[in-house]
Amino acid sequence: MQAPRAHGGDTPDEPPLIRIDSVSRRYIRGVDEVHALEGVSLQIHSGRFVAFMGPSGSGKSTLMNLVSGIDRPSEGEVIVAGQSLGDLTEDELAEWRARHVGLIFQFFNLIPVLNALDNVALPLLLTDLSKAERVRRAETALRVVGLDERIDHFPRTLSGGEQQRVAIARAIVTDPDLIVADEPTGDLDARNAEAILELLRSLKHDFGKTIVMVTHDPRALRFVDHAFHLDKGLLLEGDDARRADQAVQLAAGGGLISGAGRAS
Amino acid sequence: MKYAHLVWRNLWRNALRTAMTGGAIMLAVVLVCLLLTMPAGMDAMLNDFASNTRLTVHNKAGIVYSMPYSFTRKVRQVDGVAAAVAWVWFGGAFEEDGRVTFPNFAVEAEHIGAVFPDYPITQQQLADFQRYRDGAIVGRQIMQKYGWKLGQRVTLKSTVWPVDLDFRLVGVIDNERAPHFWFNREYLDQALREKGANGLGIAGTIWVRADDPRKVNTIMRKVDEMSRNSEAETASETEKSFFANFFGSLQGLVTIILIVTGLVSLCIVFIAANTASMGVRERAGEIAVMKAIGFPRRVIFTTLLAEASLLSTFAGVLGVALAVGLTGALQAAAGWSDMLGPLGNFIVTPLVIVQGLFLSLFVGMLAGVVPSFGAARKPVVESLHEVF
Repeated sequence: MQAPRAHGGDTPDEPPLIRIDSVSRRYIRGVDEVHALEGVSLQIHSGRFVAFMGPSGSGKSTLMNLVSGIDRPSEGEVIVAGQSLGDLTEDELAEWRARHVGLIFQFFNLIPVLNALDNVALPLLLTDLSKAERVRRAETALRVVGLDERIDHFPRTLSGGEQQRVAIARAIVTDPDLIVADEPTGDLDARNAEAILELLRSLKHDFGKTIVMVTHDPRALRFVDHAFHLDKGLLLEGDDARRADQAVQLAAGGGLISGAGRAS
Repeated sequence: MKYAHLVWRNLWRNALRTAMTGGAIMLAVVLVCLLLTMPAGMDAMLNDFASNTRLTVHNKAGIVYSMPYSFTRKVRQVDGVAAAVAWVWFGGAFEEDGRVTFPNFAVEAEHIGAVFPDYPITQQQLADFQRYRDGAIVGRQIMQKYGWKLGQRVTLKSTVWPVDLDFRLVGVIDNERAPHFWFNREYLDQALREKGANGLGIAGTIWVRADDPRKVNTIMRKVDEMSRNSEAETASETEKSFFANFFGSLQGLVTIILIVTGLVSLCIVFIAANTASMGVRERAGEIAVMKAIGFPRRVIFTTLLAEASLLSTFAGVLGVALAVGLTGALQAAAGWSDMLGPLGNFIVTPLVIVQGLFLSLFVGMLAGVVPSFGAARKPVVESLHEVF
């Protein structure tokens, strides 16, 4: 087995929360076989905030799906929180995600017929908690994201930034090991995007959460501990990774993001 | 139960569509419930019409064929027969166009009251019927239809016999169940003889009243045995059976209506299934997200199916309640008007209620199972790819 080559930030002594070994993911689309990921290996330690970056079709969303247990690799092994995800069935993966992963999506994807509190409490329906306890935890999560005064509001009455905060509250309400965010700032203006990135960083700082984010947003480099760059299904390493980092910094306005994302 | 709030809120995400689908199911259930009351209602109606001690004897070849009039006397001698009366179809037309618009029969005036004691005819009128050879007793419906009054004279032109007869109206059968026109057979017999014919030597039908309902079957068997190997073998049947045969075509109509109702129910299934599919398609993104955050397939399937079933069952309860209300109103109306009287027999029984509720639940489950299963079965990664 090929040894992991990339690391999310510094390498502490403790075992990584996420370990990806020589993972490939191929799809059949029509008569063609699409190589979405090829031989990717990386490790992410607990309490890190990392980004998967790259152009469209680079494989970053596929990698996110593998890390979050939404998809399974064609080859290689994905181990998260000590669990090899390739061995689990569809239902076992669902149960595992409910316990270990909080998901945030680009378009918020709240349930429009439920108010903020009920949206946040939705993942808790899968637990054995009493209704009172579910409400208490949902209120706490909304307080963490600064929306405790808007618990009765329905999604249509909330701004985009507020909806994304509700989605973040929904992702953290089960106190998961891992938070996975797919383009969380993709549908927000600059001010709200910064606020959401700041909120995610505070989740890392204040609650020690491990956060994996897929993003095109060059501003993200200012907030993350590490950015993994992908291109055409391959994880960029060494000089290629450094050049990709610099290109992102340039896209963000050069000096604006000094000190951000350091590839290992 | 912890998913009840989610199911309920989703059910009302498009209130107009939910209300219209529910309304369609409700009306289908009302229709089915009302139709399911028809067989029992018709049976009850026949029981109302028919006496359990009365039977009819007619030619085995069919009621258009006659029997010798003398056979009536033999029937009267059978053990258990309280009274018997011979009827002969006159085929009299009252209106100018010569159409027969009501049944009219030559009957034995001295026996008719004994065979039909349950018919509301006063003793005085029965006595007048025997006293006046040209007397006639007429059902109330016919009297009202033509605006006839007692004592009035009316003429019927026979479409069967070569005579026109002028009648004196001496009595009324004062209910809506018997729209007959009875007159004295001796009057027809005399008229035929005056025309040089042989007189009225036949009986079209013989109505018999047994002195005990338990003897009816024995009487029928004995009467038919008496006529065996004669030129006019007979077939006896109870009054209820006789009317049931008359209503045979109506029962065929009921069968057709039941088939149509089945097809309507099937259409409702398709409408409800289409609604459920639209609901699932609209929420593909939400369902994908729910799967992604850990909702297992069985929960997705169950909650979606519960939505469809809840809607149809709720509509079914309303439909059954409406059907009960409608039949209750008909019963109340039947109490006010004799003409509506038979409608009072159409009652939504507990069995019909159960059938109506079962139908609505079945519609909901059948309509919901395919889209729910489709949405639940799809792997989460495919669901996400389709919507994002």
